[in-house]
Amino acid sequence: MNKYELMYILDPALEGNERKELIDRFTKLLVDNGATIDKADEWGKRRLAYPINFKNEGYYVLINFTAGPDVPREIERNLRISDQVMRSMVVKLEDKHTSVKPRPVVVRQTPVFVQPAPAAPIVEEIPAAAAPVEEKAPPSEESPAPVEAKQEAPAVEPALTEPSEV
Amino acid sequence: MSEDRGERGGRRPRGRKPRRKVCSFCVDKIEFIDYKDINRLRRFTNERGKIVPRRMSGNCAKHQRQLAESVKRARIVALLPYTID
Repeated sequence: MNKYELMYILDPALEGNERKELIDRFTKLLVDNGATIDKADEWGKRRLAYPINFKNEGYYVLINFTAGPDVPREIERNLRISDQVMRSMVVKLEDKHTSVKPRPVVVRQTPVFVQPAPAAPIVEEIPAAAAPVEEKAPPSEESPAPVEAKQEAPAVEPALTEPSEV
Repeated sequence: MSEDRGERGGRRPRGRKPRRKVCSFCVDKIEFIDYKDINRLRRFTNERGKIVPRRMSGNCAKHQRQLAESVKRARIVALLPYTID
């Protein structure tokens, strides 16, 4: 027994019962051939990446099933006969491919800079004394790394100018 | 001055910055590239719909093979275009 994934695209003109019957028919065909349906998913109408038979939309159906090696050929044959099926594809899922839809929302690991911490306490003391001088100094420091220093900027600028004052 | 220049010349003889790219699938720890994951696959096709070569994407050989397979599968079921023009 192997795991397979079947995807087929139905004519978008099919509606309601007609469509449902057709989908049920294919599902039944799978079961009759000794397959067990693991998952059945209807994506619904989707825009096609390229027109098929002058149609820009299709009704996507996705079915995961477990079956013997003869079943895919049989179901493919039937899908190909039906005029309402625009496309179909059966894919074998390997054992290690169990996580069919990984798609975790990837959280990019942003390195955390914790340098500005020590400089922080000094900041509050300066502005009163050295405000006019500081305003000229910061731009030259900021220009080389405008984006990276977003966190550091407020803390570091005063800290660097401070020693010259004292 | 002269020292700086000598060092730079030795490091990059052709004048191109050698930046080692890392396979994004290895980074994300993705074992199996799903052909339904269009958004991810689309990142590895160029504006004409072609599969981006390994030297551009920086993918490792293993994942590039899987990727190519997945893109082709996605094309069959009209999730990705064969060509854009």
